[in-house]
Amino acid sequence: MRGRASRKTIFGFIGPAVVSLALIGIAPLLYAAWTSLQFFNLTRLNQRRFVGLDNYWTVLTDETFWQSMGRTFLLLITSLPLQLALGMGIALVLHRPGLSLLKTLCRLSLVLPMATTYAVVGLLGQVMFNQRFGVMNQLFGGADINWIGDPTNAFIMIVFWDVWQWTPFVALVLLAGLTMVPTEIEEAARLETKSWWTVLRYVQMPFLIPGLVAVLILRTADTLKLFDMVFTLTRGGPGASTEFISLMIQRVGFRAFDQGLASAQAIILLIITIILAQIYIRVFYKEV
Amino acid sequence: MKLKHILTTTALSAVVTSGALADGHGWSLEAAAEPYAGTTVDVVFLLRPGYEAIEAMLPEFEEATGIDINIISHPYENALGEQVRDFVAGGDLDIALIDLVWIGNFAENDWIVPVDQIMADYPDIIDPDLNMDDFFPLVLNAFGGWNDTIYGLPFDNYSGLMFYNTCMLEEAGFDGPPETWQSLMDDYGPALTGDGQYAFALQSKRNETQSADSFARMLWPFGGSFLDDEFRSNLLSAESQAGLQFRQDLMQYMPDGIVAYDHAETVNAFAQGEVAIITEWSAFYSSVVDPDTSRVADCVAIAPEPAGPAGRRPALGGFSLAVASQADADEQAAAWLFIQWATSAANAVEYLERGGVPARMSAYEDPALAETYTFIPALVESWQEGVPEFRPRFAEWPEISEVVQEWGTRIMLGEVTIEEGATEIGDRMEAILESAGYYSGDKPLAQ
Amino acid sequence: MTTNRSYLVQIALLALIILVCVFPFYWMVTTSLKTQVVALEAPPVWIFEPTLENYREALIDDGVLQTLINSLIIAVSTTALALVLGVPAAFALARFEFRGKKDLWFWFITNRMVSPIVLALPFFLIARNLDLLDRHITLILIYLTFNLPIVIWIVTDQFRGIPYDLDEAARMEGASQFTIMSRICLPLAMPGVAVSAIFAFIFSWNELMFGLVLTRNEAKTAPAMAVSFMEGYNLPYGKIMATSTLIVIPVLIFALIASKQLVRGLTMGAVK
Repeated sequence: MRGRASRKTIFGFIGPAVVSLALIGIAPLLYAAWTSLQFFNLTRLNQRRFVGLDNYWTVLTDETFWQSMGRTFLLLITSLPLQLALGMGIALVLHRPGLSLLKTLCRLSLVLPMATTYAVVGLLGQVMFNQRFGVMNQLFGGADINWIGDPTNAFIMIVFWDVWQWTPFVALVLLAGLTMVPTEIEEAARLETKSWWTVLRYVQMPFLIPGLVAVLILRTADTLKLFDMVFTLTRGGPGASTEFISLMIQRVGFRAFDQGLASAQAIILLIITIILAQIYIRVFYKEV
Repeated sequence: MKLKHILTTTALSAVVTSGALADGHGWSLEAAAEPYAGTTVDVVFLLRPGYEAIEAMLPEFEEATGIDINIISHPYENALGEQVRDFVAGGDLDIALIDLVWIGNFAENDWIVPVDQIMADYPDIIDPDLNMDDFFPLVLNAFGGWNDTIYGLPFDNYSGLMFYNTCMLEEAGFDGPPETWQSLMDDYGPALTGDGQYAFALQSKRNETQSADSFARMLWPFGGSFLDDEFRSNLLSAESQAGLQFRQDLMQYMPDGIVAYDHAETVNAFAQGEVAIITEWSAFYSSVVDPDTSRVADCVAIAPEPAGPAGRRPALGGFSLAVASQADADEQAAAWLFIQWATSAANAVEYLERGGVPARMSAYEDPALAETYTFIPALVESWQEGVPEFRPRFAEWPEISEVVQEWGTRIMLGEVTIEEGATEIGDRMEAILESAGYYSGDKPLAQ
Repeated sequence: MTTNRSYLVQIALLALIILVCVFPFYWMVTTSLKTQVVALEAPPVWIFEPTLENYREALIDDGVLQTLINSLIIAVSTTALALVLGVPAAFALARFEFRGKKDLWFWFITNRMVSPIVLALPFFLIARNLDLLDRHITLILIYLTFNLPIVIWIVTDQFRGIPYDLDEAARMEGASQFTIMSRICLPLAMPGVAVSAIFAFIFSWNELMFGLVLTRNEAKTAPAMAVSFMEGYNLPYGKIMATSTLIVIPVLIFALIASKQLVRGLTMGAVK
């Protein structure tokens, strides 16, 4: 019974989206795949030639590529747990009854970081974390911390901004999940146990899983794509301490102009992203 | 009309030296531009004083010629990428803005037209007062020339200069700036560092600043260089290593986090009275002597960069403008008229007064100017002794620069030793040159 | 049950969250009102004589206003287009059974994951060949590659949360699938549609990479403008923050107006 519709109807609904996305999205991707098989340096076009899988070999054996990849995953496993923990905390605080005015205000404030232009976050970071005239050192009691010029501190600073910007998103998704729990079930559970953990674990969690999976997928993909904020804040420096994978690809493709190599890097990145997303969905999502 | 007046009076002196007086009459910008009125010329500009100066003067030109100059502003770090994409795609740019390290790249790809060719193709638009000999030869060849062919005319010109804070130096008992790098380290360093103040700051951020302002600046005065005569890495030579070691040692007299300092941070630190000495481009003169942006405006003095064991090797940088080969005939002519006008001897003094730095020798002849613009003597001196290949200018430089930027900062951070870093840069640089065909003899060893 | 003390804790926590979220904005706005000399004061000053000079410079001298208008045109159009294309597709994914549905859904979502770095140059060359550089329409279409997936993802989940009985009842009365979608299901799925619209708008408004590569003057977007002041030569922090404030304010207003819908629409497939 469900979903009995003619092919024509189905196509009428879904066709325009498929066709337009295919037209816009697939052509450049194919072009990138084709480029990745060539020696294709924008400043040496006369040497352009087909080189098979050479670029892939170069990327896979390039230590700096994997260091950059490792750094990206380090960022993911540092900031994502923080975002999840803080987001969950915020969602639970907002889910508690009472104080509705303050809670509304809080929900509105949560929208601010999420909506802030990523490039602006980086610019703001430069102003706030400057060692000399930045407000962060002042707030730390006149500390003299060198944020932008020290490799470890610069990484911490990136984590800070990533957490600042995306924790609210996690919080709102989880809050939406919490509001889906039928009130009567939640109240019944609270009568039985005083432990908020038990309630969370056994009553609320099933409603949070889809949101958590969505957050995992989106945050993983976005961390692998992370570019704007770091570009405006540290440009990958000092040294290579904040050179995440997308910055590296941009550097190879648009600054060293080696489009062939950059395309190979990008395609490997895309494959890794898709594999990760598949794993998340297979493991957590029951059905589509 | 005012324009014409300036043109004829100031141009006279230039004309006399060039001997072009005979056909100096009868040519006017208005008449030459007439067939091209209404043409739009697209050009990339930077957000720097030399460009703002020309933009301010632009209405004069547009009014006289009817040519529209469409300026697309980019920060330096995006300007190369933007232009390369445009030229690769056969885009709209009619003029190329060429940093001296891009010239090999642009010339080898035939993206720009040699000046001689313009002269042959469009004889009517060549100003008889053009006088190419009036440009500082070093500047003209380094910024605009490649393989003995001149493509671009020097437009936004820099030399590295030493800016020093006379008040801080006097207080510490010095009556002048350091003559040599060694003395900067041994005498000025300890005396001027302490209590949140530093003797020196060397802009070293991981972009072209690292390779041009920091890395290369320390190679040359110590006798080092990027490449030897066979185009192999010269970074492991005793001289190059000494220069890089010197940079590392000098860091104790610089602010923390110097690897995050770009020009802006360095100039700010100097302007706030935190740093006593910097080596920066001439173009920063206006901002460090302006009381609105500088607390030390009254204490600024300027000298040529210190000398090393191999002599004075000041940093050299700057931009030329060249006609793009992708432009159509009208656009090429209009583009040339603009370039010729913007770099002309006749406009050089006004350009200087508005904050630009012209490369016309005749512009600096008036001794009164040197009193107002105290950087002039040091600048003129630096342009006599600079090294054109301060950074190699061949097509592969952008790629090599990326390598230098990464490993240069890692050396400074102590993540790798000087030797390891130099080896790494050398290997990667040679790999790039190898694939470009320099070692197989496919390509002449030109830089 | 709730004691006074836990009330106080809750108030403190809420206040802390608000403070952390808002403080950077406060700092951005105050910095934008400082002159360069005041902005570089160390340690930073909190009380100073504000100036609007940075805004005047940014808006009038540097043409930030035009880039804001461009960003608005682009973000609104691409959001609308993503909804028009995405909502019916989401309905089909939620309501119809057909072969390859799962893969199709996954393909849609995958588009959201492609790094713009991969596509920037191909888009540039293609746009150049079609003479589409520096045009609004180019960005409007390209932004569909990440907006359409987000619309389809969120709205599919919303449609799935709507009981199927409603459809059945309508069908009994002879309603077409389109009528069922637009009259019965869409009103109920509104929170999800609104949320996906908010996200599509935010993502498009904030996009930097394509804006940087594919525009120049006519269609230059606001974020591309903001980074163009980052000449390593001179960092006019006041002006950069003024531009930043101007860029952030429209998207904030939009997000705040729509924020009521946010929680109801972000259920991401959690079904009652």
